[in-house]
Amino acid sequence: MTPTTQGAIVLVATLLLLFSGVPVAFGLGAVSIVCLVFFQGLDGLRVVAETFWSGLDEFTLVSIPMFVMMGAAIGSSPAGKDLYEALDRWLYRLPGGLAISNLGACAIFAALTGSSPACCAAIGRMGIPEMRRRGYPDDVATGSICAGGTLGILIPPSVTFILYGIATETSIGRLFLAGVVPGLMLTGFFILWTLFIIWKRGFRSHAPEFRYTWRQKFASIPKIAPFLVIIVAVMYVLYGGVATPSEAAGVGAAFCVIMAVVIYRMWSTEQWWAILRDTMRESVMILMIIAGAVLFGYMLTSLYLTQTLAQAIADMHVNRWVLMFLINLFLLVCGFFIPPAAIILMTSPILLPIITAAGFDPVWFGVILTINMEVGLIHPPVGLNIYIINSIAPDVPVTTVMWGTIPYVLCMFLAIVVLCAFPEIATWLPDTLMGPTRH
Amino acid sequence: MATKDPPLDLFVAAVRALSRAAGVAAALMIAAAVLVICDMVIERYGLNRTTIWQIDAVTYFIVAATFIGSPYVLMLRGHVNVDILPMYLGPRARFALAVFTVIVSMAFIAVLFWLTTKFWYEAYDGNWRSNTVWRARLWIPYFSMPLGLGLLLLQYVAEFLCLVTGRSPPFGIEADGRKAHA
Repeated sequence: MTPTTQGAIVLVATLLLLFSGVPVAFGLGAVSIVCLVFFQGLDGLRVVAETFWSGLDEFTLVSIPMFVMMGAAIGSSPAGKDLYEALDRWLYRLPGGLAISNLGACAIFAALTGSSPACCAAIGRMGIPEMRRRGYPDDVATGSICAGGTLGILIPPSVTFILYGIATETSIGRLFLAGVVPGLMLTGFFILWTLFIIWKRGFRSHAPEFRYTWRQKFASIPKIAPFLVIIVAVMYVLYGGVATPSEAAGVGAAFCVIMAVVIYRMWSTEQWWAILRDTMRESVMILMIIAGAVLFGYMLTSLYLTQTLAQAIADMHVNRWVLMFLINLFLLVCGFFIPPAAIILMTSPILLPIITAAGFDPVWFGVILTINMEVGLIHPPVGLNIYIINSIAPDVPVTTVMWGTIPYVLCMFLAIVVLCAFPEIATWLPDTLMGPTRH
Repeated sequence: MATKDPPLDLFVAAVRALSRAAGVAAALMIAAAVLVICDMVIERYGLNRTTIWQIDAVTYFIVAATFIGSPYVLMLRGHVNVDILPMYLGPRARFALAVFTVIVSMAFIAVLFWLTTKFWYEAYDGNWRSNTVWRARLWIPYFSMPLGLGLLLLQYVAEFLCLVTGRSPPFGIEADGRKAHA
């Protein structure tokens, strides 16, 4: 049997199994075991246990539960509410100030938690009712928060970048830095669109009759500042090359938990358990998918499928930008159905040789891939964030939320186009701070 | 509505209690990993000592937490799946598909349980050591694989029994299309 036929069988089997609703981790593992036995006989099973173990036995992976714990500690505290209030009190008199403070809060909370659904839930819970109360249309209020929440995986620290970094052996510190400017740019696009659409619909944000005093304006800042300091310190330590991502994140997680306890008095066992349980649940889910994906990757390479596919694409001699377009299309379609962690782990080892052969920068591509994953988070049919918004504002029909997100999806496409035209937007910051990549 | 069946209910309750205990153990391992990292950072950067066991220990804690925490995460329906097809299917087809997916997962976990048990025994029998400075006895961390997967298999058996006796809805999707809470 030729590798092409084998590849087709593996592809179809994987898709069928994943779409049947099997947990992604076990589905990938099951396909791998069946294919290994089918193509190599029982001998193929010899290294399965060892591969499954070695897929996880990696110190860099420790950074995942650590970053998740940082996010869980901040996410389960009322820090999101305080952040939102602080921004609103400073910006409430600006025209469209509420939209700006909402999206700004999303961007900052993204940096704090690194999780898209957490970001959406934390800011949306305050932001959406407030926007609707002040007369913003429902689709703009829900759509902007839905989109703003996705910034969580683009603005560092981001679990998505860690997974991509591990799967492709790209520097995680460099990826984090590469996400900063595109993240701010995308936030800017979101804000501009929101201001434009509310202006076009004739909505004029009228200054409320009340004024916040300076005292009120400064009140929330001391509660938020320590968390921001921790994140900045973690980033600094990472880029200074002082410590590895796992060490920086581990200490950061400890500090975040301590801060949550000190500032928000989260003393009770239930609150501690909630942080630990959320951390464990999220980390175990991601790490199991990693183990399954490593086994899947092992199966693909041992059957020479990865190499054959990369070679086949290289032989087609298509224009590199056509290739990039097709890859984006592929990722986008995957993102509509499959959770980001699984897509990154399954596809990046296959895509990376193709990307580098076509002369693209892997760090830059990491950013492009992440924006694609962001689209998947707010695009039906899966669109996790849409359902989170729906649980926050159940009286807004899901279709309104979906229509509200479409312009923001277009903003993301625009960001991808801009990044293709000016790759420096992503690579400038890491290259400046960490020196150019060595190829 | 499911009929009462004391032995089955007892079995399911026992398995759930085991999974919950395993979940607490896994969560504590993650907490322990955080503390060990802090210790490592203090020793290495604060006191300028070389660290020997910490990197290995932290990694083993996290890997062990992954396997041992897995049954609890399954109970919470925390292992993500693509549920687009189940959402659109009618109740009968959804039920059939749920039975299929649980059997596939169970079969995979069972095979992996058997393979990892063999692997663990080889490590124990051959007294394998890690090739790091610590020279850790590998059968100890390896034991988390058969242990976690064994509990996961039990939890899957319980899920399967609950599914076929109508105790839990297929894919956790209630008849009205809403997601049930685990």
